[in-house]
Amino acid sequence: MNFKILRDILIITGLKSMPDLKRQPLILLLVGLISSLPLFFIVVLGGNVGLGLIGAMVSATTFIGMSAPIQEIAFDRYVKIREMIVAMPVHPMSYAIGIALAPLILSIPSLVFFGAIALLVGGLTIASLFGAIIAILLCWASVSSLGFLISTYLQKASPYTLNNMSNIIGILLGFIPPVYYAEEVLGNFSWISAVFPTSNAVSLIRVYSGKLSLPFEVVIVRWLILILTTIVSIAITTFKARWREP
Amino acid sequence: MMEEAVKSTNLVKIYHGKEDVEALKGINISVKKGELFTLLGPNGAGKTTFLRIISTQLFPTSGEAHVLGYDVVTQPNDVRKHIAVVPQDVATYANFTPWEYSYYFTMLRGVSKPEAKATAEKALKAVELWDLRNRTCATLSGGEKKRAIIAAALASNVEVFMLDEPTSGLDAVARRKVWAVLREMVEQGKTILLTTHIMEEAEMVSDRLAIIHKGSVVAEGTPEEVKRLAKDRFRVVVEGNLKSLGLTENNNHVTKFGNKNIIYVKDEDEAIELVEKFLKKGVKAETAPVTLEDVFVKLVGGETD
Repeated sequence: MNFKILRDILIITGLKSMPDLKRQPLILLLVGLISSLPLFFIVVLGGNVGLGLIGAMVSATTFIGMSAPIQEIAFDRYVKIREMIVAMPVHPMSYAIGIALAPLILSIPSLVFFGAIALLVGGLTIASLFGAIIAILLCWASVSSLGFLISTYLQKASPYTLNNMSNIIGILLGFIPPVYYAEEVLGNFSWISAVFPTSNAVSLIRVYSGKLSLPFEVVIVRWLILILTTIVSIAITTFKARWREP
Repeated sequence: MMEEAVKSTNLVKIYHGKEDVEALKGINISVKKGELFTLLGPNGAGKTTFLRIISTQLFPTSGEAHVLGYDVVTQPNDVRKHIAVVPQDVATYANFTPWEYSYYFTMLRGVSKPEAKATAEKALKAVELWDLRNRTCATLSGGEKKRAIIAAALASNVEVFMLDEPTSGLDAVARRKVWAVLREMVEQGKTILLTTHIMEEAEMVSDRLAIIHKGSVVAEGTPEEVKRLAKDRFRVVVEGNLKSLGLTENNNHVTKFGNKNIIYVKDEDEAIELVEKFLKKGVKAETAPVTLEDVFVKLVGGETD
């Protein structure tokens, strides 16, 4: 990855986040509120707040990681920024990472907030923070690159279809698998947790926080799956994404 | 030294679907460096498809296209370094300011921050938006928004600009301001490939133009050359009932709009003779050379999508 690609990532991230951040600061609150909705029910129903907070951190990044590129395509029908950038000397990777990083920046306050509370209530430990950050970043990278891949194939879809699809995929990845609840709930099917990058990342964070006990070999396998998922997602996106229309 | 900024040879684009649509049927176009070339055509003629292929956003089905000698299919990155695009029907992002548009887009060209600031300032001054640079686009008028996008392209300081119907939806005053910007760019040595369906625009700003219809070029040249393609070079506008004026409705040289009729005649002498004839009868009549719109309608046979 050369310097121009890295620089363009930062410029596109700035382009896609700074104007909103300056003029629509309420968006920060919105990102946090969406991710904390399941948390509300966990608290009300007397569930494990620590587990829920980890789930909120992962879904705060992955939900928008998946939906941002897809919604971007819908929004871009009107503002056509992508169309202008395609015709510029900008690498598709810069655009893909830039538009995925922009909402990540918007979700940082929520992450910090949920992380701080999780540390206070024991959902996270200082020792587990490093592992948590790595797991969240890998999860974000795999999910947002898949989001970009999907978005490049949906350029002719209607904005309604795009919005619905991004929400459905976001919910499928962020809420259905054991992200907000313990994977033990699934009994013999707890392995499903490893299939989804979201629940896999959450399980790994729980392991390091002492909330989940898995054999050392399983933890290694889970990390490998998460890393592999990320590599495969990025590779598929790099080779299959349609930057230029056929 | 190569004189052509854009050249296409037998460019074909077929959109495959339930029914294949041949959007471009072997387009041959040559745009010289430093000229403003307009693609004029009705909606669905293939103008945008052509522009999107030339600007490396879309692959052609067959044929060749080059920008400054670079092949748009095999050398897209080289092409992209030298072009800037203003897409069709582009809306501005409400939270962006004209300054942010110009600054960020210039930064993506790989220039330094001070250089980006300087070129953004120059571009915004050129389109007369410098005083409004820090207002969000949500608060700008339609013409100002369009000029903000043009400034973003202009700030890139490239050689070839491709603008897809940049004045559609603008009022006459705003449109003329955009025209002034485009001509200024050409005077600075830039090449502009413009698409429009507004005849007056094509006539006023183009150095040369091509009329494109159903994926084919049906006429090409300067506005004057294209107008000379018409067999009837003058028009007489006369008010009144066709029959009482001694005209027949199926006459190929007469176009009727309610009570108004346009009669096309071969030359000025014939036009003056006809006007005098009507004036003697007490019928209001006036004459003028044919417009580009007259020629356009004749060439496309009155068919638009």
